[in-house]
Amino acid sequence: MHRPTIVVHLIINIYLILQKEANLGVIYIGDRSAGKTHLATELANPNNNYVRVNSSYFKNAPTATDAQNSIYNKAMELQIQLPSGNKQLILDWIDTPGEIWRKHWQTEKQSEWQHFLNTLKQTEGIILVLPPYRQIITANNINRDDFITEKQWCNRFNRWVNFFRYECPQIRHLLLCLNKADLFCDYEQEGQKLGYLPYNSPLNWQQRNSYVMQRYFRPISPQIQQLNQSISGLSVRCFITSIYNRNLLELPWIYLGSFLN
Amino acid sequence: MGNICVIGPRRSGKTTYLAALAHSYSLQKNKQKLTIKPLNDESKKLQDKAQDIICQGFSFEPTVIGSVIKNVDDLPYFSFKIDINSGFLRKTEPIQLNVRDYPGEVFEKIAEPNLADEIHKEFIEECLMNDVVGCMILLTAWEAGADSFYRRVMSRFIELMDQKDRLKNLRLSIAMSKSERGEIWPGRLDPETDLFNLHLPTMTLTLKDLIPQENLRFYALSTFGVLEQKIDPRPNRIDAMGKEGQESYLRDAAAWKPYNIIEPLYWLSTGK
Repeated sequence: MHRPTIVVHLIINIYLILQKEANLGVIYIGDRSAGKTHLATELANPNNNYVRVNSSYFKNAPTATDAQNSIYNKAMELQIQLPSGNKQLILDWIDTPGEIWRKHWQTEKQSEWQHFLNTLKQTEGIILVLPPYRQIITANNINRDDFITEKQWCNRFNRWVNFFRYECPQIRHLLLCLNKADLFCDYEQEGQKLGYLPYNSPLNWQQRNSYVMQRYFRPISPQIQQLNQSISGLSVRCFITSIYNRNLLELPWIYLGSFLN
Repeated sequence: MGNICVIGPRRSGKTTYLAALAHSYSLQKNKQKLTIKPLNDESKKLQDKAQDIICQGFSFEPTVIGSVIKNVDDLPYFSFKIDINSGFLRKTEPIQLNVRDYPGEVFEKIAEPNLADEIHKEFIEECLMNDVVGCMILLTAWEAGADSFYRRVMSRFIELMDQKDRLKNLRLSIAMSKSERGEIWPGRLDPETDLFNLHLPTMTLTLKDLIPQENLRFYALSTFGVLEQKIDPRPNRIDAMGKEGQESYLRDAAAWKPYNIIEPLYWLSTGK
């Protein structure tokens, strides 16, 4: 008598579970030349500490996402060593070309842009890779004029703030990665200080976050606060990353591994 | 074994409390040895999170109604088995706890005369169902003003219990959480007198007037505990400014020893 009802309930539950699973995507985005593809490719380097990437597609990955090539969507399987044991994460890596944020790209590739927005609406974790700004650069062998100014950097971040507020209402974790740490700090020293050890880390997550936030994200701290307050349930965390330092490179992923189911 | 629901205002530490329970594999209480085993996937995940998040110096995200939790079926449901060994040659007594963790806003909305929307009504109805043997209410505030808010919430909650015919058959354990705080810690030994009668008098009186004595108990508990009870009773926690005001983090994972976390659940479950 009650069987059909039970079956219907089961189907609904399975659908809800699948829908929930589908919502757990992590998206990897950032402005042009922020170094997104490099970071992810370097993460697949077998000389790992606590994050291992099981994915063969990196072999053919380009060094920078081709602007004409549009959105680059692949599954990425990560194994993260946490104090509770190894955790397997299957993530959707949606690497976007920097051009995606330009109006003409959005108009020309309207369906892709719409699909991207729809994906973002469901995502729970976003890794936003930011390039360093001119005033923060300390490396000598580099032309500082190639980098945007602090003011431009802050303005660009404002654009992101609005974007997240209106397009990503479900987002729970926003990881801001100020990339190319090798250009603006002693990355080896910082890597040692911030590095993760499953049992005896010199700093805990909260200390790491306030250290990085105060030291490297001060120009946009009001915007971060605004973002934190405007999206319910959102945690914004700050990281510095570099392809030359494994400790720094792995931190955002270890953080995500700890929080995402 | 019946179900237990854990309610309390936002940021009262409900999920962290349950994580501590999942994490504290073995606890000693007087001469009793308590062994806790997570039984279902959700409680095992909570145990992992305690290790990966709390022990690593971060706090849990708040349990909020929204994208992930849309209705009661989305609420986390934790199941634990607790073995209580009272001494050599004594039989081990097992109890099973099934606990639901409710979002803080559900508790806060109780005070509104007409439950604001369908979803909150649904949460409260589930909380007062017949298979729920007890309700643990975690409170944190003790400062001026808290008493009148808690009294309003409790009065309304008691009305709802009455409407659902649960006034005489639902155990309530009222617990002051975060008791490691300096102002609270000395009152932990007799919480009814030194915490509830003193700081939350009208709420306590309302409860005592309307709930049968055998169904009401007052507790003090501390999820983070103190560094060392006898020689260093500083709270084993660090407070820092977080997204929604002050947030607390575990200070020393190696010294983590929760205080009195099982007793309220044990009583709710067994009445002993």
